[in-house]
Amino acid sequence: MKKFLALILAAMMLLSLVPAMADSPVEITILLEGNNVTDDAAVLEKLNAYLNEKIGVTIVPTWGTWGNFDQTAQNAVNSGRYEYDILFTCSWTANEYAPYAKKDAYIRLDDPDDNLLEKYGAELKAVLPELLFEGAMTEGPDGEKGIYAVPGFKDFATMNTWDVNVTLLEKYGYTLEDVEKAGFYGWNDIFATVKAGEEKDGKVFYPFIFEGAVVERYVTGTPIITGDANGLLSYYMNTEDVSTPGAYGNVIFNKYATPEFEKFARQMREYYLAGYIDPAIAIGETATDTWRNAQNTANYLISSEVSLYGYEFTTSEQRGIQVAYVMTTDAPYIDNTSVQGAMMAISSNSEHPVEAMKFLNLLNTDPYVMTLMNYGVEGIHYNLNDAGEVEFTDARSTYSPWTNGLGNVTLLPPQKGQGADFQKRFAEFYGNSKKLPIYGFTFDSKPVEIEIAQIANIKEAYALSLCTGAVDVDEKLPEFLSKLEGAGMQKVVDEANAQLKAFLGE
Amino acid sequence: MTTAVKKRPGSFRLNMISRKTEAVFHLILGVFALACIIPFIFVIIISFSSEDSIRQIGYSFTPTAWSTAAYTQVFSLGDALWRSYFNSFFITIVGTVLSVTMCVLYAYPLFRKDYKLRGFFSFLSFFTMIFGGGLIPTYIICRNLLNLGNNYAALIVPMLVSPFNIIIMRTFFQTSVPFDLIEASTIDGSGEYTTLVRIILPIVKPGIATVALLTSLAYWNEWFLCLLYVTKRDLYPLQYLLMEMQRNAEFLARNSSMIGASGASAIAALPSQTMRMAVVVFIVLPIACAYPFFQRYVVAGLTIGSVKG
Repeated sequence: MKKFLALILAAMMLLSLVPAMADSPVEITILLEGNNVTDDAAVLEKLNAYLNEKIGVTIVPTWGTWGNFDQTAQNAVNSGRYEYDILFTCSWTANEYAPYAKKDAYIRLDDPDDNLLEKYGAELKAVLPELLFEGAMTEGPDGEKGIYAVPGFKDFATMNTWDVNVTLLEKYGYTLEDVEKAGFYGWNDIFATVKAGEEKDGKVFYPFIFEGAVVERYVTGTPIITGDANGLLSYYMNTEDVSTPGAYGNVIFNKYATPEFEKFARQMREYYLAGYIDPAIAIGETATDTWRNAQNTANYLISSEVSLYGYEFTTSEQRGIQVAYVMTTDAPYIDNTSVQGAMMAISSNSEHPVEAMKFLNLLNTDPYVMTLMNYGVEGIHYNLNDAGEVEFTDARSTYSPWTNGLGNVTLLPPQKGQGADFQKRFAEFYGNSKKLPIYGFTFDSKPVEIEIAQIANIKEAYALSLCTGAVDVDEKLPEFLSKLEGAGMQKVVDEANAQLKAFLGE
Repeated sequence: MTTAVKKRPGSFRLNMISRKTEAVFHLILGVFALACIIPFIFVIIISFSSEDSIRQIGYSFTPTAWSTAAYTQVFSLGDALWRSYFNSFFITIVGTVLSVTMCVLYAYPLFRKDYKLRGFFSFLSFFTMIFGGGLIPTYIICRNLLNLGNNYAALIVPMLVSPFNIIIMRTFFQTSVPFDLIEASTIDGSGEYTTLVRIILPIVKPGIATVALLTSLAYWNEWFLCLLYVTKRDLYPLQYLLMEMQRNAEFLARNSSMIGASGASAIAALPSQTMRMAVVVFIVLPIACAYPFFQRYVVAGLTIGSVKG
C-alpha cells in the first residue's frame, strides 16, 4: 500500500512538471562550417539566455570544421534523419546549394503557401540587399524557382586582385602605378630588376608567386561559371565594365582552346623560364602552401588574391610590409558563386522550421546576437578599445567561428585598425559592385557528367603546369587540347551554351 | 610422444639452406625492414626540424636547423591532447576485448563439424566481405536504428565483427584443434562451455593474440567512424585529431579561391607541418611498444600445437 501511495505521489509530481515543460524553449540545432571552436560554454550561456527571452529558442551549434563539414552535412541530409534544424550551405561545399535544394534537402523559405520569410523574417528581408535574394533563387524539387536559404551579407562580390608587395617595389624605385600600367604582360623589367637585386647575397628569390589554379581568370577576365566545378569553361567578361558582355558576347568557350589562353600560357612560360616563378607552385601538393607561405613571410613581389574590402590593412599588419591590391576588373563583380558563398538553410527534416526562421532573422538583424556568436563574450574573448574597435584576447583561440559563415557581417563592430565607420564603408563598397550579364546562370552538368568525369582527369594532369609556365606550351597545349576533344569537350561546351541561351531567353 | 631432436647451435647445418642463399634472404629481409622503419625515422626527423628549414629546403633527413617547437605546440593542446589519448586507449582496449570475444564465439561453432547451420553462418559473414551496403545505408542503420552518435559506442560497435578475423580464427581452430580432442573431453564429461573455455581456448591462445593484434591496430588507427558519427570534441580519438588537421589543410588548399581572403587567415591558423608530424609520433609510439608483446604469441602460434609428435 505504501508503495502504491508513493507511486501516486510521484505521478502527481511529474504531472505538475508538465506545464513547466511546455514553456521550456525550443532547441534549435545548427551545423556550421569552417570553425575553430573548442570552448563555447561562455558564449552559449549568454546567447541562449538572450534568445530564450526574445524568441523562446535556445541553440545547440555543431561547430563543423573545414575538414569534417562535407561528410557530416552529406550524412545528415542523405540519411533523412532529423539532426539539424539549420544547415550551412553554399556553392562550394559538398552540400552544394543548388543541387541539394533541388533534392528537397531544404525548406523553401518563400513558399507561397507558407511564406516563412515574410512571416518570421520581415526584418531580415528589409536589411539584406535585394540582389542577395535574387542570387539565392534556385530551382526546387517541383521545378519552380524559390529561395531555399538565407544568403550571408558578406563580401558578396568577387574581387580578383594582384597582391603587390609595395615595400619591396619601392625599394627598387618602382611605384604601384608602374605595376598597374604595365599589366600582366609587361612585368618583365620589374621582375628582372627585383630578382637581381634580391639575389645579390646569394639567396633564391621568386618575385611572382600566385595561385596557379585560378590565376588565368585574373588575366583573361573569365569569372567562375557556377556549376563548372572543374574549371573547364570560360565566359569572357568586359573587364572595363563588368556589367556588359565582353568582346565575344554571351558565349561560353572551352577554357583552354582560346587565343587568350594561349597568349597567357606563353607569357607564363616566359616568366617561368626567366626564373621569376617558384617551381613549387606548379606542383599540386605544394602549390597552396608555397603561395601562402611566400605571402605570409613577405617573400614575394606580386601575388594573387581573391581580396575583400579593407583587406590590405589586415595583411599589411600581419606581414610587416605595405600591401596593395590591384583590381583586375573595373569593379567587384557579382556572380552566383560569390553570392551563394555562405548561406543558411533550414533542413526539410527540421521539426522546428518556424523557430529556426525566427533565429535566422535575429542572427542577421540583431547586432548583439551576431557579435556574441561571432566574436564571443566581451571581456572574455575580446575587449573594446576607446575607438569602439574590437581587440581580441588570447581566449579567442578557443572560440573562433568562421566569420563569413555566420551571416550578416555588417552588424559586427569594427576590428582594430578598421575605423569606426568600417561597416558602413564596407556595405557601400559592395553596394557599388556590378552584376555580371550572366548573373543567375547555373550550369547543370548532369547531362554531360560522363564526359566531365573523364575530362576532369585530363585537366588535372595538364592545367596547373600550363598555367604556371612549368611546361612547354608548343608541345603540351596541343596535346592537352586534342585529349580534351577526344573526351568530348565540345559536347560539354555545346551543352553549356544551350543552357545559357535558354537562361537568357534567346 | 615427443621425439624432437635437440639441435646444438653451430654444430650441424642440418635441414638448413646454404650460406649463400641465407645471405640473399637476409639482404632481402634487411631491405624490407629498412623500408618499414625509414619512413618513421623520417617522420621523427621532420617533427624535430624547424619550420624555416622546411620552408627553405622542404622535408629533409638533414634539416638546416633543429627545433622542438612542434612538441611545444602539441603539448600546448593540453587537455585536448590527453583527452584524445585517453579516448584512443579506451576505444582500443574495450573494442579489442569485445571484438575478440565475439570473433572467438562466432568462429568456434563454424569450426565444429557437428554444427548444422555452419554453412549458412559462414556464408553470412563471408558475404559481407565481398558486398557492402554502401556508406549512406550503413550510416542510416548505425544512426537511426542503433542510435550511434556522439558516444563511445559509435566508435566501437560498427567495427565489432570483422569477417576477416572470423575466418582467420576459424582456420586457426581447424589447424590447431583436432576434433578428437573435443570428443575426448565430451567422453570425459565436459560440457560445451567447459570444453571451450578450459580445453580449446588455451590451445588457440596464439590465434587469439593474432586477432587481438589486428583488431587493436584497426581500432587504434580508426578515424573514419569519428568523422561519420561524432562531432563532440571530447570524444575525438588521437587519430582523428591528426586527421582533422590534415583534412582542414587539404580542404582549404582545394577551395581557397572560393573562400577568398578569409581562407588565407584560416590557413595561417592551421597547425604547422612539423606539429602534424609530432602528432604522428605520438600516435605511433604506443602501438609500436605494444607490438613486440603480441609478436611473442604470433611466433609461438607457428611452432606449437595440441597434438605433439
